[in-house]
Amino acid sequence: MATAGIILLPLGYVTAQALSADPAVWSRLWATRIPELLFNTVSLACSVSIITLVLGVSTAWLVTRVEFPGRRLWEGALVLPLAMPTYVLAYVYSYLLGFGGPVEHLWQLIAGPQARIFSPHSYWGATLVMALDTFPFVYLLSRSALLSMNVSFEEVARASGVSRLSTLWRVTLPLMRPSIAAGVALVILYVVSDFGAVSLLRYQTLTYAVFQQMTGRSDNAAASILSLLLVVLALIFLITERWFRQRSRFYQTTGRYRAPQRRRYGWLGTIAVTGYLGLIVGAAFALPATLLIQWSLSPEAQGTLDNRFFGFIWNSGLLAACAATGGVVIGLPLAYLASRRPTLLNLACLQAAYAGYVLPGPVAALAVLVLFTKLAPVFYGSVLILIVAYVIHFLPAGLQSLEPALQHMSPNLEEVARTLGLGMRDTWRRVTLPLVRNGFVVAWVLMFLQTMKELPATLLLRPVGFDTLAIRVWMEASEEYYQLAAPSALLIVLLSLPALALLVSKDWRAA
Amino acid sequence: MSYVCSVPTLCRSILSSLLLLVASGIFAPSAPAADTLTIYSGRSERLIKPVLDAFTATTGIHIELLSSGTTELVNRLKAEGDRTSADLLITNDAGSLELARTAGLLHPLNMREVERAIPAQFRASDNAWVGLSGRFWIVAYNTTMVKPDQVKSLLDLADPKWKDKIAIPNSGSEYLQAGVSVIRATYGEEKTKQFLQGLKTNADSQVYQKSSQIVDAVAKGQVALGIVNHYYVYRHLAAQPGAPIAVLMPDQQEGGMGAIMNVAGVGIIKSTKHLDSAKLLVEFLVAQAGQKLFADLDKEYPLHQDVKADPALVERKSFRAALVPLSKLAELREPTLTLIEQVGLR
Repeated sequence: MATAGIILLPLGYVTAQALSADPAVWSRLWATRIPELLFNTVSLACSVSIITLVLGVSTAWLVTRVEFPGRRLWEGALVLPLAMPTYVLAYVYSYLLGFGGPVEHLWQLIAGPQARIFSPHSYWGATLVMALDTFPFVYLLSRSALLSMNVSFEEVARASGVSRLSTLWRVTLPLMRPSIAAGVALVILYVVSDFGAVSLLRYQTLTYAVFQQMTGRSDNAAASILSLLLVVLALIFLITERWFRQRSRFYQTTGRYRAPQRRRYGWLGTIAVTGYLGLIVGAAFALPATLLIQWSLSPEAQGTLDNRFFGFIWNSGLLAACAATGGVVIGLPLAYLASRRPTLLNLACLQAAYAGYVLPGPVAALAVLVLFTKLAPVFYGSVLILIVAYVIHFLPAGLQSLEPALQHMSPNLEEVARTLGLGMRDTWRRVTLPLVRNGFVVAWVLMFLQTMKELPATLLLRPVGFDTLAIRVWMEASEEYYQLAAPSALLIVLLSLPALALLVSKDWRAA
Repeated sequence: MSYVCSVPTLCRSILSSLLLLVASGIFAPSAPAADTLTIYSGRSERLIKPVLDAFTATTGIHIELLSSGTTELVNRLKAEGDRTSADLLITNDAGSLELARTAGLLHPLNMREVERAIPAQFRASDNAWVGLSGRFWIVAYNTTMVKPDQVKSLLDLADPKWKDKIAIPNSGSEYLQAGVSVIRATYGEEKTKQFLQGLKTNADSQVYQKSSQIVDAVAKGQVALGIVNHYYVYRHLAAQPGAPIAVLMPDQQEGGMGAIMNVAGVGIIKSTKHLDSAKLLVEFLVAQAGQKLFADLDKEYPLHQDVKADPALVERKSFRAALVPLSKLAELREPTLTLIEQVGLR
């Protein structure tokens, strides 16, 4: 209740501000900005979710159901884009595809000196960057589902004479539905609340407009109106996803399964699969990472590596670890209660936690700031308010993986443990927690990664002398100092890697 | 149990590390040392840090710098009230300083050094803020695409012949807000509205967050013209001497309004506990040595009469500035923002 309260307060603050705004501001916004912003935001979310759905599910299926050389390597490599913040990918692509950039030069060699390619500062540019960056969410959750799915369902279908394709379509995919829906919902929420990429690509979405209103105006009326719209929009997406997921609930009956049979492909198939995966990983990670390394080695960039720089590293890691830990500690009971005792109150608390994710970074930041000034000024100007904002902002990312983990586990198991004489606490410790450990670890890692990449809330709430790596990247990249932004960007990527390694390591998968 | 790291252990270690953090005082705001000044700066770190570093080198007073947007920082100061850790506010716009002054955030100054160095029209009436360097909102043009006589006034950029050929700052930019305020005060509501509508159509998606991006786009020929503060062009030229970009000082024609001027400035925060050090900094910034840094490093026009601007710049005496006083920028801002919103600039 208390946690849900903390999360609802900022929401209430924004709603109250928006509703108490002058009607003239409302009508002016409706007449000018809102239609464009709504259209831009929704269309971006749609195109990105379609592309990530295709990329995520197809890659997950390939690495779990097909055997080919280097499969295990690809299995890990496909997660790598998660270490690449959207604004880093955006700034790399605005260099690559930009006016007079390398891709345009190549294209002009083929199509003549006057030829132009599509600008990265557009709908398609934003779609490309966001899709490449977020498809691992769908991939991870689909892969998890494919690995933990009871193979016997598929085997029964095959034994009854159903074709491979038909089995995939009629058995495997429907079984994966909760995970796929969770992944896509995560992508949509991510796109809708993204600030870094759309601001660098100058693509006008609601979140970007909110930040512009917040930083460009002395009152927050317009910003809170736009945020309210954003929250409503996201709630629509969320409710759709919930409804979809409610209709399909599958329980498993034992803790561990036989690994699924993997088909072997011939050399042609292997080349095709490797080419496909290589293209995706190359565009989403390898190419940008190579550029970052190259830029980081330039003399301009080397000049920025001093003591200050190490301070930025410390700040980033510390904030991310605190926020992720706080998120898991708060998220686990919320998800558990909603899944096991779905009373109206518990479900409401859980849904409230989800709303935090779509409260755009800047508004969540300001709301937290005002709350603390009123309730606990002692903490004012400290790291704590920043961490609270992070937890509110990223809790849903964690919940998205805690929740399906709990749903997959049959309540029978706990009931059996209780009948056999285990106490409440022991049941939790010896049955529930070990079974949800997958979700638990994934949740922590996801929140750690996202906090480290976080930009707008950090920009607005950072205490003096508490610049993070993300802030440094943003400051340099937004003025197109590609070289100077590179060392910080590269470090964010490198610091994210151990966390990612945990994601793909054997330990949590085996559970 | 054979788990590599069981959940209860994980929980315990997480909890204990949290406790450790609390104990180490990371959650409590740290009190800055006596010889440290905390500055909220709305100017790009690249432009202000070298000057502040020079101050630290001379006086030994350490500086904590928080760089962000000007309006954002004024909002933050208002929200923080007396609890703020900031000692000074540096901005890129006089209007924002005047707004901070009327909100009672700034400390009036009675300093002879300031009055001697900076002419009265570049300071607040009670010296609660002091202008440090002058900048003009000019037209930057690509020399291979545009002849300088094709544009006489900023208002010419609304002409349909420049469709898709101009780059402008976004509507959150304080320069743009100040510029539009001056145009409104000179030509009135209706004409300004037409100008903004034309500007919006011509720029289309070429709306930038940073002035340096606009200069880049002009120099590369992505657009023919851009509206920016003059020094971004000269800084670009200093780094890349051959770039095909130049400054056009607009509105100098007979009866024209004159070039739009603004100043970057500084104010001491009312609740500061380091008034003496803060005054030292202001003194340093308005003195000849400090002013010379703004002129040489940033390519701005120094406000101190005895300090010369960079010789590459258009000679200050050769052009006229618009006649709207800087302190009026504050009261002009609200209606200007309404107009900008009505037109729907990004």
